[in-house]
Amino acid sequence: MSRPRRLNLPAPARVTAGSDGRPVLVEGREVEAVRESWLVEDRWWTAAPLRRRYWEVLVAGGRNTVVFRDLEDGAWYEQASA
Amino acid sequence: MAGPAALAPEPGREQLVGEVSAAAEAAGVRPGMRLGEALSRCPALALVPPDPVAVNDAWEDVLARLESVGAAVEPGAPGLACFDARGLRRLHGGTLDGVVAATRAALRRPARIGAGPSRFCALAGASRARARRAEIVAGADDLASEPVALLRHCEQTAHLPVVLERLGIATLGALAALPRAAVADRFGAPGLHARELALGRDTPLRPRTPGERVEESLTLPESASGPQLERALALLIDRLLARRDRRGRMVRAAVLSAVLVEGGTWRERVVFREATSDPARMRLALSGRLMTMPAPAEALRLAVDRFGPPPGASGALFSDGTQQRRGRLREAVRQARAAAGPDAALRVLETDPDSRVPERRALLTPYE
Repeated sequence: MSRPRRLNLPAPARVTAGSDGRPVLVEGREVEAVRESWLVEDRWWTAAPLRRRYWEVLVAGGRNTVVFRDLEDGAWYEQASA
Repeated sequence: MAGPAALAPEPGREQLVGEVSAAAEAAGVRPGMRLGEALSRCPALALVPPDPVAVNDAWEDVLARLESVGAAVEPGAPGLACFDARGLRRLHGGTLDGVVAATRAALRRPARIGAGPSRFCALAGASRARARRAEIVAGADDLASEPVALLRHCEQTAHLPVVLERLGIATLGALAALPRAAVADRFGAPGLHARELALGRDTPLRPRTPGERVEESLTLPESASGPQLERALALLIDRLLARRDRRGRMVRAAVLSAVLVEGGTWRERVVFREATSDPARMRLALSGRLMTMPAPAEALRLAVDRFGPPPGASGALFSDGTQQRRGRLREAVRQARAAAGPDAALRVLETDPDSRVPERRALLTPYE
């Protein structure tokens, strides 16, 4: 039997950010507008804390997407249903 | 452990101490004694937190080892098991000694072994045996000098030793010598049963069906309680029912256990009113038990304790369209799985829908 799988797992994304941390390019597409940004901090009491800065952005071509920067390792990810 | 020690009561259960060390026993502490009384008799008593899940796992391992020598085992409380050695003699050299040697070799740990014509005689033998030598108690004559405290090992007669000792009946021989009518008049059915035991007679063994372990467990990323725990339970039920080795059988009884965040474990056995493989009914019966868990859990486990018949063995009196539709749907899922593998039918199970971390909100799990 297969094991249960988590849905909405983040996928690594190529994001270029400006000096203020805002995403400027997502997967090579220019960011036209930032719709919302929020911070998620969790499990700060454990050895594996979770700290993410989420950005909901509109990229060239009209696609709405959510990316986040992992504040622990500095990597960028794209995530559906955020 | 050097000082007096006793097993602490399980959280949420009656405040009675469990097994006690020899030092505690010397201070007057007895298994099953009220915690307050035990502490007042022995203020230095160290209480060891119970770990029912580990005990059960270790005990299951011991029973499986006994069954590996061909024994049909009747399990008692953890630490006590009986089997009929007569059928095993020819397997192990034709003598009782051969059976005992095979049992010791299979157990691979020190054990006190007793033999006799009845379960109670064997128990008396084991209680006087040493770790390396089995004792045989042949019947009433051998039992006569044994203390009535042995009756504590039998659930039906466990309460009698205190009363008997108070009346000056200290040995099983003294009990056996009492007239049957007088024992019945004073102690009722438990007394009569105790007298039968003292005379070397006992009820036949009821061995269990050799075990098959069908269980599912889930490590919870964070300490869980309330709705999160219920969702974890729902996931475990789905996984358990999707197991191939269930072979379509319904579940008569299940064991729900957890590793608690504060240390220790928790274990509950649930017998369903009727055997079922309906996840909704299982959830209903099991989720109520989650409320009795004394602390948040970091791991949850669900195991089948006893199987019922396959579905369809007892049909409903009136046909129900909903059941038929569900049956057809299940059959369709089975066929799809047979054709395209186990991932052919999955469902989304919400685990923590309000979580701010999206990947914690839902799981893909087998459809059942």
